[in-house]
Amino acid sequence: MLFAAVFAAGCHRGPRLVIGSKDFTEQIVLGELLADAAQQHPGPPVEVVRRFDLGGTLICHRALEAGRISVYPEYTGTALADIFHQPPPADAAAAWRQTRADYARLGLRISPPLGFDDSFAILVRQTTATRLHLETLSDLARVAPRLRAGFGYEFMERPDGYRGLARAYHLHFAAPPHVMDLALTYMALAARRVDVIAGDSTAGRIAALHLRQLRDDRHFFPAYQAIYVYRPEAAPLLRPILARLAGRISTAAMRAMNAEVDVDHQDPKAVALRWLATLPAQ
Amino acid sequence: MRAWLQFLIFHRRELLQLLLEHIGLVAASTLIAAAIALPLGIWATRSRAARRWGIGTANIVQTIPSLAMFGFLLPLPLLGGVGASSAIVALVLYSLLPIMRGVYSGIAQVDPAVKEAAVALGLTARQRLWQVELPLALPSIFGGLRVAAVIAVGTATIGAAIGAGGLGEFIFRGLATADNNLILAGAVPAALLALAVDGLLGGLESMLARRYRPAAPPPALAETASGA
Repeated sequence: MLFAAVFAAGCHRGPRLVIGSKDFTEQIVLGELLADAAQQHPGPPVEVVRRFDLGGTLICHRALEAGRISVYPEYTGTALADIFHQPPPADAAAAWRQTRADYARLGLRISPPLGFDDSFAILVRQTTATRLHLETLSDLARVAPRLRAGFGYEFMERPDGYRGLARAYHLHFAAPPHVMDLALTYMALAARRVDVIAGDSTAGRIAALHLRQLRDDRHFFPAYQAIYVYRPEAAPLLRPILARLAGRISTAAMRAMNAEVDVDHQDPKAVALRWLATLPAQ
Repeated sequence: MRAWLQFLIFHRRELLQLLLEHIGLVAASTLIAAAIALPLGIWATRSRAARRWGIGTANIVQTIPSLAMFGFLLPLPLLGGVGASSAIVALVLYSLLPIMRGVYSGIAQVDPAVKEAAVALGLTARQRLWQVELPLALPSIFGGLRVAAVIAVGTATIGAAIGAGGLGEFIFRGLATADNNLILAGAVPAALLALAVDGLLGGLESMLARRYRPAAPPPALAETASGA
């Protein structure tokens, strides 16, 4: 009865859950995590449909609003800035509450924080950091006129991206930053074509490519706590599963899972299943 | 629609600059590709090995996704790196196949009787190529060139992924910020540019055809023979 409303198509035996994700590794791993947790969930078998690799925040959000997907992983800071066009508060708990209220106005719900924060990370090569004694972003500002930067489009456009960062730290690079695809910025950094990029703090490639994340000593970047956003019809099925995941995924765990996929080229499903096996059963 | 036009007017200087960058990427890559593919296509009609290897390689290159191609090009000295050079190299590689195919099939489809007649008239291989084969292959060569240029207008939008600028910059920025106005500000001018480029090359083709290609093969042969 509970599921009848959720899964309008009557031909399915069990409840149906369509899981979306954006088009990068962490999102696909989080999609897999939820998919596998739903399938392990006691009760009637859940028919899980994976709609991963959707091209970005906008597309996932529209798909969720239109009911084409039931749930997808999101980040509080991203939702506030990109979907609701609000300045994200610096305080993580306040950001989560505001995100929940904004989604509620659209009739959507969010999970408790998953436990890790995927914020922007300003990255340099280890060798550069050692040579120029770089620890913090303030150190970077000191030598920036000698360095070349390469940033993704999202970082260039967002108020909490390049413009804000440059203002907060008085950053001036040798030339205007190269604007390019995010994945290519990592390759350009490794190939020594640029010296500074803005990646994700949970990226598996940080260790693999011998990069160093510079500390945000003036606390410029807002909180980007990972959550799942879902449709209310899916709530009865999702709530116990999300409660099991809440607060369990540490930044270190997420970075390790991302590295297993991006660096060791393991299957996201295998990585997700292995991590789930470490969770206590509900 | 009205809001979008106002948006375009507001961003007109940026739009013009990106449009010019886009035209630059397409023009440079199509010209370089033509300079490479024209001799390769002619060579393919003369040698079985050239046909197999040349067109085979161009076929394979065509299947490499552009982001993967940029990944390969990034570390390369001179040709690669960040910016327009990598984008132009990728666009050149993508344009080779349609141009080469156009040249090859145009020459291969010249009526053997016409070629024999040209030999009988005592034309050298070079004269046969320039005065008989290439003029008769002109529609097919231009067909390939038009396909290559139109595809390049579309593909050049991905150049924005490696810092090459162009209209793709609006599209990438629009996607990053969920801004439909920006996405359309890149996509619509790119589509119009593709139509314009196709029309322009079509016009150039008919101009060349009037100059070099008489109406039907038999008088054509008589004319080229008398001209020789």
